[in-house]
Amino acid sequence: MEREFSATGRQSCVRPFDQACLPNAFRMFFCLALGAVLFSCSSPPPAPSETAPEEVNSLPPRYIIVFIIHGDGGYLYHDTDGNKFRADEEAVNSAKIVAERNSQAEVFIFHEKRKKHFLFLFPRHDGEFYYYRNGQFLAQESYWRDHGQSRFDPEIELYNRFRAEERSRPKKFFLYFGHEIPEIDGKGYDASHKDRSFTVTDLVDGLKHFNQNSTKFDLIALSTCFNGTPHTIAALSPYAEYIIASPGNLHLSYFDLQPFEALDIGLRDGDVSSLAMMCARQSFERLTKDVQTEISIAVYDVDRVQTFLNSVNSVYDLTLTTLKDKPSKSIEHCDCSEDSAYLQPAISDGIEVFFRPAKFGRSKQKQVHSGWECLRLLN
Amino acid sequence: MLGKTAIRLAVMIFVMSLAGIAQGQDKLQNYFSDAAGKVKVTTDPTEKREILNKSFEKMTKALNSVQGSPLVSKDDKASMEHFKVVLKEKQDELAGINGFERVPDEQLNDFSDYVVQDMEQATETVTLSLVALLLIILIAVLI
Repeated sequence: MEREFSATGRQSCVRPFDQACLPNAFRMFFCLALGAVLFSCSSPPPAPSETAPEEVNSLPPRYIIVFIIHGDGGYLYHDTDGNKFRADEEAVNSAKIVAERNSQAEVFIFHEKRKKHFLFLFPRHDGEFYYYRNGQFLAQESYWRDHGQSRFDPEIELYNRFRAEERSRPKKFFLYFGHEIPEIDGKGYDASHKDRSFTVTDLVDGLKHFNQNSTKFDLIALSTCFNGTPHTIAALSPYAEYIIASPGNLHLSYFDLQPFEALDIGLRDGDVSSLAMMCARQSFERLTKDVQTEISIAVYDVDRVQTFLNSVNSVYDLTLTTLKDKPSKSIEHCDCSEDSAYLQPAISDGIEVFFRPAKFGRSKQKQVHSGWECLRLLN
Repeated sequence: MLGKTAIRLAVMIFVMSLAGIAQGQDKLQNYFSDAAGKVKVTTDPTEKREILNKSFEKMTKALNSVQGSPLVSKDDKASMEHFKVVLKEKQDELAGINGFERVPDEQLNDFSDYVVQDMEQATETVTLSLVALLLIILIAVLI
């Protein structure tokens, strides 16, 4: 199957103008500005290690990794020495290392960036896509995130355009980095697209299209706060064998991607569950060194958590319906085990929880977490 | 002096309004990180407490002033109310009042990191509008 690897097919970032009516001086300014815009939107330099597609194609990828990294919001964090980091940029860099170090992986990295303007007028692309196959950096494209009916339409189009033909069943991973994905409302998730909404339903819609051959992702990781809820895990269940998510707070420095850097070793026995546990444990250990806020990471074995999910789905859905019209400031998160309706016999089945309470604050004495987060109205 | 400050503020508002809401959030995060930096270079626990307390007080005052402004929306006002509660809890914990154990002297550096990290994760700052963020930062700088 023929594939296009050059950074062509980019969408134009220039809107039509009627030059005929412009006075000369303004036309000159216009031309200079236009030139600058075209320059600013020009293709990125060619990939340093570009390889002939046919050479790369000869090895069918054993792993497919899709990274969606949201960066359109408040993602600044400081380490304990006061150094500043952008969580999204750090995640993109880590994802590139994963892509370069896996010689048998096909890696799609989508960076959802803040919308910016050149010369305060001309919008610039707010999405950046990087494509790697078998350790080789093959393509980079800028794209518009708001082109499409569904949230992930632009990403899915790029995914379908670049992906290699699957000759055997590869291990598939979907890794999302960002703030908590809301279960209701979802307006304001993107700082520069305030009118757009993003909810777990939109994520599920995207997963459906990333998964057109109906094979589940072996692992979905949500590197976000508070997405380890019965609703989110149930919604993702048809698309994943294992899920890693945080039922509470997760520091912006995110999950540790180091276990993904050598998948041939990490998945030597084809055991995704061990890889998921290693990723959760390493992330937990790294975060506990410097982070003073709560750390909670859970690994969900999707088949084994279904009994619990089935027993609480109606309760949780009722809560969501009740809270739908309430102001977000009147809603708080809590460990589901604090609500008797969720204290079902199967609450601990199929879930491994890594938890350490915040070192300060009202919950510093809390010693365990069920791994399930719920919502409730503030008293 | 006042003229210079006014010009600086005008430039800051202009630049930040172009840069967008994320820059406003960054300034807010930097505010607490700067306070943590000052806490760590001081060895005297009393001084550490004073720095932290002052940073909470200045921010609370700024929030009170901005809440009264007709420029901010009802949603922003609700977010700021919640933000003030979060700050008050931290101030109470520092002092050991309202059901909190007093933060021990030897943990003040860690506590300053906790404040920074909690603010970085706090959704109440994420949901503030650009206008509200700008006003809060400007007033906190001026106080």
